Amino acid sequence: MGLLVEQASKSFPGVRALSNASLELADGEIHALMGENGAGKSTLIKIITGVHRPDGGRLLLHGEEVAFHAPREAINRGIAAVHQERNLIPRFSVAENLMLERLPTSRGLVDFAAVEREARKMLELVGLDIDPRIEVRRLSVAQMQMVEIAKALGHRARVLLLDEPTASISDNEAESLFRLVRQLKAQGTAILFVSHKLEEVLSLCDRVTVLRDGETTLAGASMKGMARGDLIEAMIGRKDRAVVARHRSVAANPVVFEARGVATAFGHRDIDLTLRKGEILGLYGLVGAGRTELARALIGKDKVTSGEVRIKDQPVRIRSVEQAIRQHRLGYVSEDRKFEGVILAHPIRSNIASTVWNRIAAALGFITAKREDRVAMPLATQLEIRTPNLDQLAGNLSGGNQQKVSLAKWLAAEVDVLIIDEPTVGIDIKTKGYFHELITGLADGGLSIILVSSDMPEMVALADRILVMHDKRIVAGFDNSHDYDTVSRSIMAAIHAQSGESVEKPGQAMADATA
Amino acid sequence: MNELFSRVIRVQWSGLLAVCILAVLALTIVSPNFLSEYNAFVFLRSLCVSLLVAYSQMVMLGVGQMNLSIGALGGLVAVIVGGLMDAWGVPTLPAIAIALAAGGVAGLVNGWLTVRTGINGFIVTLATGSAFAGINLGITKAIPFYNLPADFVAFGNGRLGPIPNLLIVPLIVSVLLVVFFSRTVTGRHMLAVGGNSHAAELSGLSPNKAIIEAHALSGLLAAAAGILAVAQLGSAQPSIGADWLIISFAAPIIGGASLAGGSISITGTLLAVVLIGLIQNAMVLLQVDPYWVTFLLGALILAAVWLNRYRAVRVGED
Repeated sequence: MGLLVEQASKSFPGVRALSNASLELADGEIHALMGENGAGKSTLIKIITGVHRPDGGRLLLHGEEVAFHAPREAINRGIAAVHQERNLIPRFSVAENLMLERLPTSRGLVDFAAVEREARKMLELVGLDIDPRIEVRRLSVAQMQMVEIAKALGHRARVLLLDEPTASISDNEAESLFRLVRQLKAQGTAILFVSHKLEEVLSLCDRVTVLRDGETTLAGASMKGMARGDLIEAMIGRKDRAVVARHRSVAANPVVFEARGVATAFGHRDIDLTLRKGEILGLYGLVGAGRTELARALIGKDKVTSGEVRIKDQPVRIRSVEQAIRQHRLGYVSEDRKFEGVILAHPIRSNIASTVWNRIAAALGFITAKREDRVAMPLATQLEIRTPNLDQLAGNLSGGNQQKVSLAKWLAAEVDVLIIDEPTVGIDIKTKGYFHELITGLADGGLSIILVSSDMPEMVALADRILVMHDKRIVAGFDNSHDYDTVSRSIMAAIHAQSGESVEKPGQAMADATA
Repeated sequence: MNELFSRVIRVQWSGLLAVCILAVLALTIVSPNFLSEYNAFVFLRSLCVSLLVAYSQMVMLGVGQMNLSIGALGGLVAVIVGGLMDAWGVPTLPAIAIALAAGGVAGLVNGWLTVRTGINGFIVTLATGSAFAGINLGITKAIPFYNLPADFVAFGNGRLGPIPNLLIVPLIVSVLLVVFFSRTVTGRHMLAVGGNSHAAELSGLSPNKAIIEAHALSGLLAAAAGILAVAQLGSAQPSIGADWLIISFAAPIIGGASLAGGSISITGTLLAVVLIGLIQNAMVLLQVDPYWVTFLLGALILAAVWLNRYRAVRVGED
């Protein structure tokens, strides 16, 4: 057995990222690790690579229990990871990057001829035909990835973790990556392959482990006979959570926000959506469908290249987020609350009041804590932000309470339309329920909401209407019956119908593998 | 033509070299005194201390850090070497050796504090710089040491035609630094840490070790600058180093160093010091108020950084 993770748990302040997750990675296999955002994949990877230490559970390497305190220890034990962020020195040559920690010297000086020689051998291992003397920053992303794999192999890695290796490379490049991965497998390397792409996982991997909400929902299941739907179901879950499904009638309300044939610089095309007053419009899609990017374009963070956006029946051109808030009362709650939602180093009161500083300022622009409190206090009470006082820094709050602050900011701004992106990612199930009640309550109060989510039960519970996004397009739209089984089936059917078009290629890859 | 242009601007310091040559030509035409033996000597002598000061900061930029204590450290070393020779009667060479060691140790302290406390090196060296300056003034009560050995002072004033003896030191240091950063493991590791400390760590290097080593080297270079300044002035002034801060950053940055770390140019830094020296010399020859030199330096830094940005976009870097 290559690597065994037994019952690993890990909590961060306010959220349990992993609870009793297990992974069994055998030598000479390609093992897929899947799960939606916030499922705990990256936490698990960080435990394996020595970045985090688990709160509970064991890590066994070749049958021997290990505890890593730093990435170096994992590397020394033959565990190498190729992360999404490139870990190479951009201005150094490929050769030097490959040999960085063991530069050969002669008479005290680095022997670059030897560096190059060694590097050529390492590049040959991965079949990468480039001049080792060129600087890394001149390489393509795929080439960098290959260099990193070569480097990992140079460390004599027996366990190789590939974190979404195909996220930013072309299909052709992915094919040569797969060839290499299969070759390594044949040599006995244990490979953990993290990916969101169902097709490539189905064709490439031998077994799969799926995480959801920090728990293992599929543990090393064989890929034989596995269907796309099985994987999706394991990732997004069944109706096993309490939901507050409630039928609301908004069809007669006036339209407050409308997009007609919108295209964006990111690649969205023909986006049509209509949002009525008090409606919760769900925007569902798997990771990579382009939901967040669309939200960002709609609020003026990115560019809408063509099409029309209408607010209260008036065509508008939103050029900046500031304009969206001030002129059009349109707000956006980011999925990334730590970096975009709240200012961690600022107290709760300033965070909440930050959207209305202009309005609450006294003469000469003076803002006092008292003035901020007048806005922040009622909202903190309404959202039940659990804190001794509003002086508390946002950074000291739990994830759930940070999210409440992030939401309160927009309520303070008295927006009419709010785009809420993945409101409950990384938030435990109990607090999730609270947020669901809260969002429904806000809509009942007249707020119009676009809910962006990849959490199926959440979508079924909250949305009045659901739009399904796939590959930067809206591929289906229907009223939500709040019946989990029928709705989830319709959503999946819409996504399958689209991704079915591209089944050809992975099938071919399969033929390659068996040939 | 276009191809030639793009090939030329690929060499980082090509523009600087061109500007330096143009400046020399212009000065020769405008002021006949410029090429006089004595003016050439004065000009070249003005480069010596500046070069070492610039290298001291360049090393820190290479590892992705900054050192605000260079001036104070150089000043402290200057009064140490002066005090050893004047008050204690220590012979020249041992005095220089002890003073250099003191600079290296002060650098180690900077590095150790940065790594150990985890506080930003910018703040650490701001604090230690103040401490060094305090020790300096505490020891000397701001009174210089004047009685220095004759051989030491003679070396500082000596020249071979227009070439000052002192120039030997920065020239040797330049060559050593080129070898150090291009061919030694320690030097390569410093640049790797500066270029991407996270990646360097995941490759099994120790960023902390590289940072401490860079601080020690920076301290050593600042110490050498302090000693050279004493030799040049013929006395150990406690005020030595007080005006080094701007040139320490200006020269490496104009020379093409990246503020993000990991990318430095020794030739570029050298040319930048020459260019700054030419400007200062021109101001004297053209009888411009020397205070404007400071203004020009500021403008030059901005222009250089902006030009580098333009060049990077043009060449398709970043």
